[in-house]
Amino acid sequence: MDDLLNDFLVETSEHIEAAGEQLVLFERDPTDREAIIRIFRLFHTIKGTCGFLGLSRLEHLTHVTESLISKLRDGAPATAETVSLTLAAVDRVKNIVAGLAETGKEPEGDEDDLTFALQAHACTSASPQAPEEAAPPPAAAKPGKVQLDKAQSAPRENPAPAVHAPAQARPETIRVSVGALERIMLLVSELVLTRNQLLELTRHQDDAVIKTPLQRLSSLTTDLQDAVMRARMQSVGRLFASLPRLVRELAVDLKKKLHLVTEGADTELDRQLIELIRDPLTHLLRNCADHGIETPQERIALGKSEEGTIRVTATHEAGYITIDVSDDGRGLDLQKIREKAIVKGLVSANEAKELSDEDVGRFIFAPDFSTARAVTSISGRGVGMDIVRDNIESIGGSISLTTVPGKGTRFTLKIPLTLAITPALIVEACGHRFALPQHSVVEAVGLDEAGAHKLEDLQGSLVLRLREEILPVVALGSILEIDPGSRAASGDLVIVMRVNNRAFGVLVDAVTDVQEIVVKPLGSSLSELEVFSGHTILGDGSVVLILDPTGIAGRMGFERANDYTAGRVVENFTPTDETTRFVLFRAGSGAPKALPLSLIVRIESIPAADIRMSDGLMVVQHQSHLMPLVPLYSTAETRLQATNPVLVLGIGGESMGLLIEQIVDVVEARLTIEIASTSPGVIGTAEIRGEIAEVLDATYFMQIGRPNAYSRGVANQFRVLLVDDKPFFRDMLAPLIIAAGYRVNTAASAAEALAMFEKGAHFDAVVTDTDMPQMSGYELARRLTREPRHRDLPIVALAAHAAPTVLQAARESGMCGAVGKFDRAALVKMLGDILEVRQLNKHDLEKTVIGSAAA
Amino acid sequence: MTQRSTQRPSSAANAVGEQAQTQCFIVFVGGEAFGLPVDSVQTIFGIEAVTPVPLGPREIIGLVNLRGKIVTAVSLRRRLNLPEPPATRSTLAVGMDHRGENFALVVDEVGDVIHLDSEMQILLPPHLGERRAKFTKAAYRLETGILSLLDVGAIFDFPRHT
Repeated sequence: MDDLLNDFLVETSEHIEAAGEQLVLFERDPTDREAIIRIFRLFHTIKGTCGFLGLSRLEHLTHVTESLISKLRDGAPATAETVSLTLAAVDRVKNIVAGLAETGKEPEGDEDDLTFALQAHACTSASPQAPEEAAPPPAAAKPGKVQLDKAQSAPRENPAPAVHAPAQARPETIRVSVGALERIMLLVSELVLTRNQLLELTRHQDDAVIKTPLQRLSSLTTDLQDAVMRARMQSVGRLFASLPRLVRELAVDLKKKLHLVTEGADTELDRQLIELIRDPLTHLLRNCADHGIETPQERIALGKSEEGTIRVTATHEAGYITIDVSDDGRGLDLQKIREKAIVKGLVSANEAKELSDEDVGRFIFAPDFSTARAVTSISGRGVGMDIVRDNIESIGGSISLTTVPGKGTRFTLKIPLTLAITPALIVEACGHRFALPQHSVVEAVGLDEAGAHKLEDLQGSLVLRLREEILPVVALGSILEIDPGSRAASGDLVIVMRVNNRAFGVLVDAVTDVQEIVVKPLGSSLSELEVFSGHTILGDGSVVLILDPTGIAGRMGFERANDYTAGRVVENFTPTDETTRFVLFRAGSGAPKALPLSLIVRIESIPAADIRMSDGLMVVQHQSHLMPLVPLYSTAETRLQATNPVLVLGIGGESMGLLIEQIVDVVEARLTIEIASTSPGVIGTAEIRGEIAEVLDATYFMQIGRPNAYSRGVANQFRVLLVDDKPFFRDMLAPLIIAAGYRVNTAASAAEALAMFEKGAHFDAVVTDTDMPQMSGYELARRLTREPRHRDLPIVALAAHAAPTVLQAARESGMCGAVGKFDRAALVKMLGDILEVRQLNKHDLEKTVIGSAAA
Repeated sequence: MTQRSTQRPSSAANAVGEQAQTQCFIVFVGGEAFGLPVDSVQTIFGIEAVTPVPLGPREIIGLVNLRGKIVTAVSLRRRLNLPEPPATRSTLAVGMDHRGENFALVVDEVGDVIHLDSEMQILLPPHLGERRAKFTKAAYRLETGILSLLDVGAIFDFPRHT
């Protein structure tokens, strides 16, 4: 149901209830002027809202009732008839409201009986010198009259239809002031802090007497926090409510025909965030209307419908909501953006050629980047997409876009559900501790004088050579001016962050902890410090400042810089080398475990509630992908904690998590395996900083968590096109292929598949149904292999059964094999055979590299 | 206590004093006494651990956890531009609220609560330093000397440079 209507129903039920009560009071004490004025106001409010919402039946009824009450207010005597008539009106309003709540519409029928009576009475009341006499004659024949004439103590019986429609048909709600909710939230935040302090105190105790109730308290606190958070949620429908009007105005201003579609209005979001994304959303809509959608004439010429559609949809994912704003307009002019980017010096002409369309599209988020020819009043006023992106990123969200020339553009906003509580790394620099929100942290890189990661001095500025990239790095101590000496920047760990699509590193001494922190804004005395976004109290009771990655980037001057790191940081699997930094942690009984820090992409804390079991494997939804979790301790013996530290490993572009109990420390030590291990998953026992620790074999767990990705090692993911006209098979087979470690696109027909190739899509293999309407899979294969560039493209036929005849037909049409639709194992094996062979064919690879370089 | 002399003590009568009587809490910094309006004082406490705020104003010593609340500690000494004390640094603070933000005013010592009559008020001497004048709300003539009543709002107001 419409939010507005819902609010109206809640309010009106309250008002009408109050009016009834006041009326009874007034009857008892007719000298109570206050009471009648209150009743008048209540009816007046209802009437006003009804008119606004177009509820004509209610409006008429309340209007007539209001006139009668106004007579009473003006001094007419409150006779029993007057009061019972008014009460009858109150009941009738209730009935109609109940009907509204049920169906969303005013129920059929009219109030002629009642309104006549009310009007007649209003007339007689107006002339007090001729009172009581004029009973309502027009109502005489109506059934309602019986009760109207009698001032019974039970005047609420009303013969109108739907008399007993109970108010409970609507979910029960009470209205709570925002202030009260905020106060509860504040108290819960304090409770979380106190809980953390308690946990910290008992961390090193093994007293079950305390531990058990504390665990309970801990999980209850988390639940409470969750519940309060939920109570603060509001549906994004509130946000959407203002959009139709905006689109209407845009259509008039731009002389375009626009149609707005909103979906997922009931998706819920923290109320604080709803307000924060209002402006960015409005801006995106303006952008779609102004730049995206063509004029009606252009659209007709293009064979599109005259009316352009703007679609705003909200969906909920674990911990995030996604808001898509898309149009069916002309799409981004990527060529023009490329040219502009070169002119602006954001990218060299050569680099521009190499960039994917997606990367090119991203330029529109660069400051002062507008390709609009004319500055219009709608957009292109300097309030650019960069501001939109900054606004979204400042609340820990992200924005991305996809565009198809001639078809339209889609912006995707990913917004966290709440701002109040966020996971953060606790970092140490020059003896100070700071909290660094995890949402912008990409990875932590341990420095090593001799090894792979080493800071270099580039004319006084620090840079880090990380894999193929050069990252600018600043020491946290020097940017915050807390570095005590003139000594060159110190630190052992570079935290790589990504802000506004730029990666940079911050040099710190250590990461001491990962905690969920309750973010509290800085007071006004400190709010102008751009490098801090707030402060919080840690488990040990100490206060730390929360670093603002955007502010740090700004202070470093990265805002003005060119995109120093084109493309993105590729999560690569770096095999174990002589790394000397270890994460020490506890998982299960026995000695603490150790893993080289270089293997760990990041550390997360994952609530137990987010962990699911799937096919015997623990998984967690992570950045819209499922990430497998391998517990390093027996989850049968030890229960999951409310939030669980997880070490995230990156393998071949995919990630998996190791579920542990507690991070002990990050230490630097020389690794000398004292006792080699025979048990799987353990390399051996070593002495690290005087403590005995088990050094784990990360590869072993990768084989469990991501067997296919692991077997591919550092290779790129292969892209497979699945063609089948039946959604059932697409839905069944696509996940299967994805699970085998490939990226999958689907096409519903051979024509669609061909169109994808035509647009330049690259696939490493095609799996196609043989039996499809219009064009069979055999024909698709023939057409594809006819073209020289697809000659070597492996195509696999999908048939009901892999009968010899099918295989023969497949071979004849240029396919390399056929499998049965229900033989999943054979499909995966065949893809593996085909693609692994290709990968090993180095010569081929070289050719591709040379080919793309020449292009 | 104070070396300053009053210029026109007789003009006290026409000084602006909305209330006939003000209750005032005395604090000491660098041997000087200052008054704080009693109703703005919430608590007196000893500061244990301070988290410094890098890049913050010099007068802000740092952030303090006061029973689960984060409090901004401001040094009255630095605010009034008084010389830094010898080795030992004071940890005594007066908890106060200003515009919804919790502050702790760090002082050397705290004294008594006294009553101030509007008749005791004197005009601020015109040659009072600009910085001092900004933070002083009024001055009162006491038997022991002259007492400055501090303007809490001004003390906790840190200008935005943007």
